[in-house]
Amino acid sequence: MAAINRVLRYDGIEDKLDSPPQPTDLTDAFKLPSEQHHGWKFLAFGPDGKLYVPIGAPCNICEPSPNHAQIRRYNPDGSGMEVVARGVRNSVGFDFHPQTRELWFTDNGRDWQDENGPEEELNRVSQPGENFGFPYCHAMGIPDQDLKKANPCEGTTKPVVTLGPHTAALGMRFYTGQMFPAEYRDRIFVARRGSWNRTQKAGYDVVSVKVSPDGKEAKIEPFVTGFLDEGANAFWGRPVDVMQMPDGALLVSDEENGAIYRVSYSR
Amino acid sequence: MGGPLRHLRVPWLAALAAFWAHGAAAAGDVERGSAKAAQACAACHGADGNSTMENIPSLAGQPETFTTLQLILFRERVRDVAAMRDVARPLSDDDIADLAAYYARLPPRPGPGARDPAKAETGAALAERLRCATCHERNYAGREQMPRLAAQREDYLLHSMREYRDNQRAGTDTTMQGVLYGVSDGELAALAHYLAQLR
Repeated sequence: MAAINRVLRYDGIEDKLDSPPQPTDLTDAFKLPSEQHHGWKFLAFGPDGKLYVPIGAPCNICEPSPNHAQIRRYNPDGSGMEVVARGVRNSVGFDFHPQTRELWFTDNGRDWQDENGPEEELNRVSQPGENFGFPYCHAMGIPDQDLKKANPCEGTTKPVVTLGPHTAALGMRFYTGQMFPAEYRDRIFVARRGSWNRTQKAGYDVVSVKVSPDGKEAKIEPFVTGFLDEGANAFWGRPVDVMQMPDGALLVSDEENGAIYRVSYSR
Repeated sequence: MGGPLRHLRVPWLAALAAFWAHGAAAAGDVERGSAKAAQACAACHGADGNSTMENIPSLAGQPETFTTLQLILFRERVRDVAAMRDVARPLSDDDIADLAAYYARLPPRPGPGARDPAKAETGAALAERLRCATCHERNYAGREQMPRLAAQREDYLLHSMREYRDNQRAGTDTTMQGVLYGVSDGELAALAHYLAQLR
């Protein structure tokens, strides 16, 4: 469990849910930065057994320190830290492709540059240390309006696809279940929490993204909608994460209502 | 972040929700607030809510929601300021609502100190660049949970902004930390001067 820079490990927790033990404190081992802004963590173990940890830039737009705006992986004890992705403004969701086992992640674009962008990103990491653009290059090659540099997108990797203007693309998972129709296999479900920095609200839904394993093709389709009333420009739900159940149903968490929904399929 | 969350005894959001569910905030009593302020607050924050003491903020004209929230944060030690501990601990929800209602209606008076036009201009340009008015309003009178900045004490503004920038204080979210990240001391001083001089 991580809370900003604190890292805690609860051993054998499934058998002790009624009376959790004191955690082992690994904060000093992981040495995460303590800035709170964009500092809250989504964690997951990769197929390589390492713990993957994103660290957001502690700002809307700024030159990040060498310790921010990145995704790291560690051994479970905090040793062996490697930066696997740079130029990541703030990622709150990632998963590993079921076939290629590569890391794919969502990234939230900056505010206050434009009503319609730069859009949130869906990125694929094909080699460790890859640079995804922040702060100079956003989305599909949009230069930052405040931090200027010659050839701002040089040496950076573009997203597989963009996920809408200010929609706050957060939790994502590859679908590997048997319950949904076969066409959903290896698709990505993405929760979009919804915009604050846009006059006309956008997001507030779950989309599915059909992708080729090499990231060259992507198609976005709506999956769970209805939380946003576009006509009234008002919302009543904010999906933030998705998880797949053992039977293949999809769980969706909604922070606005403090709810978790289960989406199932039957013929 | 270390401090505030470590001392979390009541999640502040739950406390605030409970506070409003109780209906106290909707009906803060200005007269009761005045009496309570005279007894518990005026010695430091000024008889009229305008502070004449170094690094102690003025409360006059602060939005009601802002004062309500800060008093809850102080009382629950989510925001832990030594000078406020003993004062805030005994406050009831009604006390907090009354104080917030009272202070919101007091006219703010800017502190002494001459305006440095160059410094104020630098500060104004910065406020524009950092988009302060999008939350604190064009006249910097604040609204809802966002405080009045206009005519606040310059030293207190500087102190607060430094705390946000240096990750020593969080508001209800981390917006202020994000906004002020990387802003230099000189820039903060110009901002503080500009805001303190606003009428």
